[in-house]
Amino acid sequence: MAKRLLIIDDDPDYVAGIKAILDKAGFEVEVANDPKAGLRALQTRPYDLLLLDIMMGRGAEGVMIARKLRKDTKLREMPVLIITGMREQIAFLFPGEPIHPGFVKLDELVEKPVEPSLLLEKVNGLLQAAEERKAVPQ
Amino acid sequence: MKAKSKILLIDDEEVVRDSCTQILEGGPYEIASASDGTAGLRLVEEFQPDLIFVDLKMPGISGFEVLEKVAAMDPTIVMVVITGFATISSAVDAMKKGAYDFLPKPFTPEEFRLITRRSLEKRRLTLETISLRREKEMLREHFAHIVSHEMKAPLSAVQQNLFALEFELAETLNETQKETFKRTKSRIDELLKLINSWLRFVSVDINQLQEKFVQVSVKDEIARALETIGPYAVRKDVEIITAIDESLHPVIGDGLSLSEAFGNLISNAIKYSNDGSKILVKAEENANDVVVTVKDEGVGISKEDLPHIFEGFFRGKSGQAMASGHGIGLAVSHQIIEAHNGSIEVESEPGAGTTFAVHLPKANPVQPTTG
Repeated sequence: MAKRLLIIDDDPDYVAGIKAILDKAGFEVEVANDPKAGLRALQTRPYDLLLLDIMMGRGAEGVMIARKLRKDTKLREMPVLIITGMREQIAFLFPGEPIHPGFVKLDELVEKPVEPSLLLEKVNGLLQAAEERKAVPQ
Repeated sequence: MKAKSKILLIDDEEVVRDSCTQILEGGPYEIASASDGTAGLRLVEEFQPDLIFVDLKMPGISGFEVLEKVAAMDPTIVMVVITGFATISSAVDAMKKGAYDFLPKPFTPEEFRLITRRSLEKRRLTLETISLRREKEMLREHFAHIVSHEMKAPLSAVQQNLFALEFELAETLNETQKETFKRTKSRIDELLKLINSWLRFVSVDINQLQEKFVQVSVKDEIARALETIGPYAVRKDVEIITAIDESLHPVIGDGLSLSEAFGNLISNAIKYSNDGSKILVKAEENANDVVVTVKDEGVGISKEDLPHIFEGFFRGKSGQAMASGHGIGLAVSHQIIEAHNGSIEVESEPGAGTTFAVHLPKANPVQPTTG
């Protein structure tokens, strides 16, 4: 069965460019254009992976979502791929490091715009890692 | 058309108000007057004057009080005190309360016109300073935000959709169409890089950089820079020759920033080199410093451009037609090297080439490097 992915990003034009790639790769993709709708969707049905934008609304609202997910015992298991345009802040604060260790606990991060091959590599990698985690119960 | 300057006269003597109005008549002014402080203050709000002449001694509220209240309402309004009791101490008091100047009675029309012109000039400069300061603040503080939101986000969306279209159409595109995609993507990529380098330029924080300083091998950082930049040299058929002293002392600094600085200098050299020419990257040391030089045989930099090349947002005339650079790299390199207590020098001869020399203090205490 096709894996179900959710994209939370407030730029519909940008999302179209991500969704088209994931659609063609055979994923079932849903979109939420604001953090609130995103959280609602996450609570209504299960997703195999979340693609999350960081800078939404009035600030880094994506970080807030990521933090909420980490506190939720069920949603915590879902892999998250952060897609961000805020390279400048990240690269500046943590040159050479893709993710700041104390920023928020994330699974992976890619920068906007993201090449299809890289996007699919990260998505597939995260999905596979999640499968493996499930297969080996702690 | 330029708006007329608004002048408010507050004086209880009608003869003073009338004569002042008469003196300024025919000039580029709009004049209002009040016979006491209370009426005057009301007019300040309604009339919004640029300049106020106020009598110190009036029945009702005093000129001093008017000065205080106006200064609290709008400190940019210029106030000049008029009074028959021109004593040094009242003048000083008035100045303390925010008056710009002091006009003792009696005065000549010429004196009054002169002080009016000077005060309005003061007002103009005050407003201009405020707007420039605001502009500068906006540039400094919000530049990164504006650039990333208003420019970078739409460009990213465009690029992302190009990626998607190409991916979706992968099986149907012919060679020409593939080439079009490739070229379009690379143009947008250039723009995104340009925006990123602007952001980089406004966000280099020297103090933050220095907190993470450790011992760094200059040789390794040059190697790292060459690794990223090598392909550009190959594409332009420029040969990079390295002469790196094997026993260089380490320096204290941030490795990634240093490799970025070296990388900027080398890619700058490539950019301004003629096809098929050579670039020499040399690292040696003297008594105190590790010295890295990057020498090209390119177009060179003209004498008048030379003092400005580290300023950022500057690109020499001579190179403009030839390269698509954006002049931020040198400014960033300069910032980075200065943060390392080093210096960067440039020598150039138009048509013959340019040499950049970076001096970085050796790490203390002086000890041999391992390996």
